[in-house]
Amino acid sequence: MTSDIRSWSLWGRKFTSPVMLASGTAGFGLELLERGSLAGTAIVVSKATTLEPREGNPPPRLVETRFGLLNSVGLANPGVDAVMENILPSAAMLPCPLIVNVAGKSEREFAAVVDRLEGSSIPFGYEINVSCPNVAAGGVAFGASPETVDRIARMVREVTDRPFSVKLTPNEGSLTESARAAEEGGANAVTVSNTYLGMRIDWRTGKPLLHRSVGGYSSPAILPMTVARVFTVSSCVDIPVLASGGATCPEDILELLAAGAAMVQVGTRVMRRPDAAAELLTGIKNFLEETLS
Amino acid sequence: MMTAQGPDLEVTVLENREILPGVHSMVFRTHGNVYADSLPGQFLQVEVSPGPFPVTRRPLTIDGLHGDDCVRVVFESVGSGTSMLAFKPVGTSLRILGPLGRGYELRPGGWLLIGGGLGAAGLGFLASRIDCRSVLLGAATSSRLLPLPGLPVLTATEDGSRGTHGLVTDLLGSVEWTAIENVAVCGPVGMMDAVIRQIPERLLGMTQVSTEARMGCGYGVCEGCSLPAAAGGYLKCCTDGPVIPAADIDWERWRGGNT
Repeated sequence: MTSDIRSWSLWGRKFTSPVMLASGTAGFGLELLERGSLAGTAIVVSKATTLEPREGNPPPRLVETRFGLLNSVGLANPGVDAVMENILPSAAMLPCPLIVNVAGKSEREFAAVVDRLEGSSIPFGYEINVSCPNVAAGGVAFGASPETVDRIARMVREVTDRPFSVKLTPNEGSLTESARAAEEGGANAVTVSNTYLGMRIDWRTGKPLLHRSVGGYSSPAILPMTVARVFTVSSCVDIPVLASGGATCPEDILELLAAGAAMVQVGTRVMRRPDAAAELLTGIKNFLEETLS
Repeated sequence: MMTAQGPDLEVTVLENREILPGVHSMVFRTHGNVYADSLPGQFLQVEVSPGPFPVTRRPLTIDGLHGDDCVRVVFESVGSGTSMLAFKPVGTSLRILGPLGRGYELRPGGWLLIGGGLGAAGLGFLASRIDCRSVLLGAATSSRLLPLPGLPVLTATEDGSRGTHGLVTDLLGSVEWTAIENVAVCGPVGMMDAVIRQIPERLLGMTQVSTEARMGCGYGVCEGCSLPAAAGGYLKCCTDGPVIPAADIDWERWRGGNT
């Protein structure tokens, strides 16, 4: 799917920015809203929501490396009931649409969570997270199998008419086959992709630096890997590709759009710059004016 | 809890002094009075470089305020981020986000302040806002003792190079407990845990600890800086803390690392 990098839309809706906030670093957008930091944000993708509450992985959950960040948060969230009751009503105040990211430890859990979320008028759509590297059950293993992706997408499709994206894993399996499976299963987009499995060890003690040993690696340094994957996947599916991984500066966003992304998610950058979306959008507009006018 | 504190400001390094080997005191001019109401125990997130790395900021405890528009931090040059920060000359522009987090609850009555190593950063700021009766400072050696001028400080060093030869807990026997109604503790987790076990039971509910964790955003969204909670699950160091009632922490899980 090729697109004009100057016009930004998703699921029939036009946006004045190509910048989405990736799942995990923006909560449900409410803290950033309270900070006044959602300017320039087209869509917020929420933290993962699961059927039951999850307290997340034991600390340490973060290790910064010379060139990036390993995280092992483990889908900490209050569970779908608390999200419905306590969070989504407040999300009505967001100045932009909210996509709810959904995770599950069984194939059926994704549709079960979406089914519950259907009771809210808030979600613009869903992001089905079949690629979390930080959980024992589900996670990467689901996304790596096209058959599983197909089954999960079909189950979700059965319970909602809202659009949804499937967030794929770069860690195992074939991204293109999983993307095709998502499309055939009824997904309306694919998110390419998630963090890369990584690990650090204290060589003096032999002990891993993260409690759960491995984590998901994010960094400006993974940008070329995302560009390659977005480029490949967007040429073999007809649904939009949402790029996620490594976008840090305005040119990164434009590059991912040129690679075929419909929209671009930023995550790790928001941890450092809560106003990242507005800063990126200003830069993007400047580049487009200078270059393409 | 939601906290929407602290704008992201461009500030200027006004002072950068190495006060102990590898330990820097840095003053930022904020060009405004954003920090005027900040509380002891709150922190700020320093963007060490405008370039891509490090990808996160460095959380540093507020050590004090200067005039209307300046804020001071003390940090040790230990990792890639703080080492870069230590080399910033006066006049450098940086971004700081803050003030962030929960500071000490400034209750009336006499206070005992207990610091371990660089955990003493910020205790001078706290002492200026409360009735400070005594300060206990412990460190590995004398060159790791932060100066706290004008305060009633007792010191202990593990190598005996200054004060009592031993640990900060060895100083607890010298405290005039009758005058103490509040306790503040800041230092490594093992030291804080040892202190909590040895202070009089009546003060446990009046003890506040300043915690530390690997931090991502610093404003409550990334869930990176979790601390084991006494009630089960986790607290966020950045928005539930960094200053937390000692009774709210599950010390066994935190100390053991078997969290």
